[in-house]
Amino acid sequence: MSINLTLHTSPEVPLEAEVLCTDKLIGLTGSEIEKLPVEHGNRQVSVADFFTVKGSPDDSISIEGDLSKVKHLGAAMASGKLTISGNVGSHLGAGMTGGKILVEGDAGDWVAPEMQGGSVEIKGNAGHLVGSAYRGSPIGMSGGEILVHGDAKNEAGHAMRNGIIVIGGKSGDFAGVNMLAGSIFLLGETGIRIGAGMKRGTLVTMSKTSMLPTFSYSCRYQPAYLRMYLIYLQELGFSVSDEQLFGFYHRWCGDAIEMNRGEILAHDF
Amino acid sequence: MSDNIKTVKNATCTFCGCVCDDMELTVDLDAKRITKAKNACVLGRAWFAEHTIQDGPAAMIDGKEVTLEEAIEEAAQVLTSAKFPITYGLSDTTCEAQRQAVAITDFIRGSIDTTTSVCHGPSGLAFQGVGESTMTLGEVKNRADFIMYWGGNPAESHPRHFTRYTVTPKGMFTPNGKKDRTVVLVDVRKTPSTPVADIFLQVKPGKDFELAWAMRALVKGHKVDSSIENETGVSLEVLEDLVQRMKNCNYGVLFMGMGLTMTRGRHFNSGAIMALAADLNEFTHFVAKPVRGHGNVTGADNVVSWQTGYPFGVNFSKGYPRFNPGEFTTVDTLSRCDADAALIIASDPAANFPQAAINHLGSIPVVSFDTKETATSKLAHVAFRTSTYGINTGGTVYRMDDVPITLRPAFESPFPSDEDILTPLRKRVQEIVIGKSKAKGAGAGVTRAASPVK
Ligand code: SF4
Repeated sequence: MSINLTLHTSPEVPLEAEVLCTDKLIGLTGSEIEKLPVEHGNRQVSVADFFTVKGSPDDSISIEGDLSKVKHLGAAMASGKLTISGNVGSHLGAGMTGGKILVEGDAGDWVAPEMQGGSVEIKGNAGHLVGSAYRGSPIGMSGGEILVHGDAKNEAGHAMRNGIIVIGGKSGDFAGVNMLAGSIFLLGETGIRIGAGMKRGTLVTMSKTSMLPTFSYSCRYQPAYLRMYLIYLQELGFSVSDEQLFGFYHRWCGDAIEMNRGEILAHDF
Repeated sequence: MSDNIKTVKNATCTFCGCVCDDMELTVDLDAKRITKAKNACVLGRAWFAEHTIQDGPAAMIDGKEVTLEEAIEEAAQVLTSAKFPITYGLSDTTCEAQRQAVAITDFIRGSIDTTTSVCHGPSGLAFQGVGESTMTLGEVKNRADFIMYWGGNPAESHPRHFTRYTVTPKGMFTPNGKKDRTVVLVDVRKTPSTPVADIFLQVKPGKDFELAWAMRALVKGHKVDSSIENETGVSLEVLEDLVQRMKNCNYGVLFMGMGLTMTRGRHFNSGAIMALAADLNEFTHFVAKPVRGHGNVTGADNVVSWQTGYPFGVNFSKGYPRFNPGEFTTVDTLSRCDADAALIIASDPAANFPQAAINHLGSIPVVSFDTKETATSKLAHVAFRTSTYGINTGGTVYRMDDVPITLRPAFESPFPSDEDILTPLRKRVQEIVIGKSKAKGAGAGVTRAASPVK
């Protein structure tokens, strides 16, 4: 049986709850979990002040309620499964190294910043800076996968170093900005200035988008590996059309200001 | 005019970020007003001339006059009982007052943010990402032979910038003034600043980043397609010529205006300009600097930085400073309804913030510090009326190039200064916080020394 937490009182101010993470709860009883500290603004309170805890721990946790003011859930998670049925606040899965997080609703800004491994799946929309680097830090996500079925705002994959990010809906400006490597799939409409300052890595876009002046056109082709990737995305529940699967892609290289080893593959309609 | 006249030499105008310190003020001490401000520009003259002492109580709680002590006590109670208090403003006050505000925020474990977050905050973010190649304005005056303003209209916003530092003054290595300099302006439309420029680039709105990026490519020797003209409104020939001039100058300066930081792309726009300056250092000496607006907003950045390690958008809820613009910046904490009390110093967010933020500000207890009645002071729970820095109050302010300048006040005000109230408020907050932590017993962790304060 897994642990189930239900939010019984909505926090008035942001609640920081990095203890609510599979690895940190393993081996604890329900009443021990209730006593764990969380931060309600600048006050230290306990889990029981906001959540009803049921079940006995194994490696999966489910949390229910509107958690849009709850931050840092699943931070530094290494294994197990965290399911959130509802919306969730910022810094979800920050720096996680393994395990799986599933959000049934929307997520706030900074979904899995600087994550190293594992997987995060958001059924709804995500905020700014999905899988990004924190301000002042040179490297963002360095492994794992982030799957957003809805829309995402600006700077998805900022300075990402490895791993894969998929945005099923619309994406904001500067997707893949300063990217070092890794793959980003933008299946819906994209914002402007994608791939600005990218060194290596692949950005795939399925919509018409303008290229920065520092990207140069290479060719129109059918990358075989892309088809394998897209089939995988289909299996994950993203909608990928036959035209996208079997169609041609324009390849652009850039960013010339940086190493020029990155590529943007834009679907040819 | 009465006979009770005094003149104040080398006074400082704190209206804009130029912080001109060569004012000669004639003060009518009976009428308590400045009758003449020699050397000031139109904005400066208006700033000094319009300054009169408005009658009114120095402290109010819910619109009713109270003593300063009562108001300080109430403010301290409000701030220490809040779970997510925010401190905001700070750009129009002295560094000494700013320092007290940082200490208060540290004690109450709140978030501190300045008006930087709604003007050049994006440039602050860009400094971190790109780094800053910097200078002082004196250096610019004496050495710079290539000046470029991007997204700003200094003729109207900082009228003496051209004449004191960048265009007309004769410097050590620029003995012929304007003749020795190339002045370039980049903007989306012609402004009163345009006639000063030797070269004017009219960029299409929202295309600054693309233009800067193309210039970076040219500086680095990459080809740029001629379609850049269609994209940005500036032809490739003009850009190539400009980049040549930049590479060949002896000392180049890029001044960034709010046209860059407050349009789509924000910190990436100013980041692109700073990166352009960094790229040009392969060939010659190049620097980049934001043209800061409010009098002491640069001081706010400096004080918050040297006390917390970060310039704005800093949170203390865990007892140590954390920096995250977008999370701890005031527009965001208010719009998301996170904050539950606010300390607003020398700023009027209730008049110029987005509606969602104003609505939330109206629903929480606010402690305000203002020199006159403002939209914020009207909705404040505790409102302090304070004297004006630079005119009635001395202290330190920072010019936009991070040079500290001492103020020489013109005449006394019946109201206390921001620092005069913030210091006892800080002491009272400190007492309450330490009292609470003692009551909780050792290990509560709130007795940790805050920033060093007198
Ligand atoms: S330029 Fe600015 S600081 Fe100087 S006198 Fe004019 S308003 Fe005052």
